[in-house]
Amino acid sequence: MIDFASLASAFHLLGSSWQPWLVVVPGILIGLLVHAVPGLTTSMALAICLPLIPYMDFLQALIFMTAMYAGAVFGVAIPAILLNVPGSASAVGTTFDGFPMARAGKHNEALGLALAASCVGQAVAYVLLLGIARPIAAFAIRLGPPEMLVLALWGLTLIGRMRGRHFARGLLAGAFGLLLGTVGLSARGAQRGTMNVDLLLNGVPIVPAIVGLFAAAELFNLVGREYIVEDLTRRRVQASRIVVGMLDAFRHPGVLVRGSLLGSVIGIIPGGHAIANLLSYSEARRSVKDPEKFGTGDPRGILAAESANASSEGGSMATLLALGIPTGGATAVMLVAFGMHNITGGPSFMRDHTDMVYAVILSSLAQVGVLAVVGFAFTFVAGFVVKVRLRMLVPAVLALAVIGSFALAQNASGPVTLALFAVIGWLMQRFDYPVSAAVIGLLLGRLTEGNLLRTYQMSGGHLDFILTRPIALGMLFLLLASNLMPYLRSASARFATTPVPDGELI
Amino acid sequence: MSVARPSVDLPHFAFATGIVVWSAWFCWDAWRTSVDVENMILIVPIAVVAVILYLFVAVSCFRVSSTTRREPLAAGMGIRIACSMALLAAFVVAGPLIGFDVACFLYLLAMMVFLGERRILVLLLAPLLFCVAAIYCFSELLSTPLPLLFSRGEG
Repeated sequence: MIDFASLASAFHLLGSSWQPWLVVVPGILIGLLVHAVPGLTTSMALAICLPLIPYMDFLQALIFMTAMYAGAVFGVAIPAILLNVPGSASAVGTTFDGFPMARAGKHNEALGLALAASCVGQAVAYVLLLGIARPIAAFAIRLGPPEMLVLALWGLTLIGRMRGRHFARGLLAGAFGLLLGTVGLSARGAQRGTMNVDLLLNGVPIVPAIVGLFAAAELFNLVGREYIVEDLTRRRVQASRIVVGMLDAFRHPGVLVRGSLLGSVIGIIPGGHAIANLLSYSEARRSVKDPEKFGTGDPRGILAAESANASSEGGSMATLLALGIPTGGATAVMLVAFGMHNITGGPSFMRDHTDMVYAVILSSLAQVGVLAVVGFAFTFVAGFVVKVRLRMLVPAVLALAVIGSFALAQNASGPVTLALFAVIGWLMQRFDYPVSAAVIGLLLGRLTEGNLLRTYQMSGGHLDFILTRPIALGMLFLLLASNLMPYLRSASARFATTPVPDGELI
Repeated sequence: MSVARPSVDLPHFAFATGIVVWSAWFCWDAWRTSVDVENMILIVPIAVVAVILYLFVAVSCFRVSSTTRREPLAAGMGIRIACSMALLAAFVVAGPLIGFDVACFLYLLAMMVFLGERRILVLLLAPLLFCVAAIYCFSELLSTPLPLLFSRGEG
């Protein structure tokens, strides 16, 4: 499946000049920095750097953009862990266990875990991409609305697992989130829940809503405290403990590999990278013997979410390079960069410039090593956040979040959404509703509705249509199996431990 | 010997009612604009599920026992959180009106005073430096058209 002549040519392209490599460290640093600010996104950073692209040759430009992407993919975990601020949907899963670890004084280890998971995830995805880029692309093109619907339903099952102590409250929070996710124009152009406010036609601004629900609500609870970590002895920033966290990641190879593979596959689907972390988290939680530890600061939660988030980058690149289809904002901007060099992504690019594709993949693999070093240094500096007094940190983070949400929405709807959802999020916490269930609903509402509608239209209202879609059927089977397996397992365990009365035949 | 009777959790009941009232209104609003399947395919089933779940939650609000009762907020915490929310709301409203540069400075100053900072130099310098850095990054480096009073922007 590997074209070895092109691979050799790719090595030659990368080795013949040191110039393409000059942009790796700046690219990764920009990516890391951008996601340290709530409200800034990878696509925004890539778009800002677009004017530089014509001054670079094509390979250098691609390496620069993938480096930025790689930095941003990990960078988003830093505020998610330290401040409970998921700067984008792809870091929501990281907050579930990342912030509880930080609150417990294990911020160093949590950041190390996230960095290692991010590096492993990216490496696995690019190795996969190197070997099976073409089959992946062929698979991606066969995925349609029914398959996406099953994927969205898979994501929604996480609501059931995030229900917390109260079953009804958890599901009500999820239903509330789903409805919020469908606010705005319908597929037929009907306004729903907009109260005639034009700014809501495109729906509730997702990132400000998530930042409000998660971060601002949590920051209100920190009012009156001195530091994020109360215990002075646990407030240290230690490089050695970040390394311990990184090494600890490799104690759970199953979680890492499963998350990486899941993320790579989901990443190839448009919009998939946003839910890869949630699905991976959900699957990791389902498959362990002690799922009750998830959400309380379990390292496996961070590993599952981060490895899938990082590897979804490779999946997105597969679709971009092989099909010329962007799977999200960041890859859409990359496609613009292709255009700046008069190159069209897609099958012809894959066929005619295989060496270039391999060069990008190989350089991305090398970037993983650079990310481990640069990310480590960045993480060490970022860790000092726990030493800042909350009387300064809380207003500063909230102010940045408000300005960032204005920048993101380009109007007042961003800050207003943030403030409104901050209050809702705090009330949900107060009354013991799982905020994460509402966020999952909010993220998946429009995706679920759109694919449900398209599937309905394709099928003409006949449910047996799904039987004609082998991939969807297979995914549905896996979905049911993954959700029923724990119950079957516990039932069989109960059956096995039931004492058999004397003399009874088995 | 007296037996502790279940008490009523009215704040929680009001919150849950708020969620379901919004859900029902949203469903009605969507129905009002178009009853097509394309419009209602997800909204109706989810709204019905929300109402059913609400009934369970509402019943639980009237059967609060000692084991399910919430921990009360620490003394003065409720006021602190309410004030923090009010200051955030004021910042959100004031930002686009008077400019984010001034609104951000005032918000940081007010929050820091409210959270217990009393050193005059810190109170003046920290918000000022933060505002200059943040506004410069957003408006100059990222070319975000922020409403501003004192520098280039929409204000």
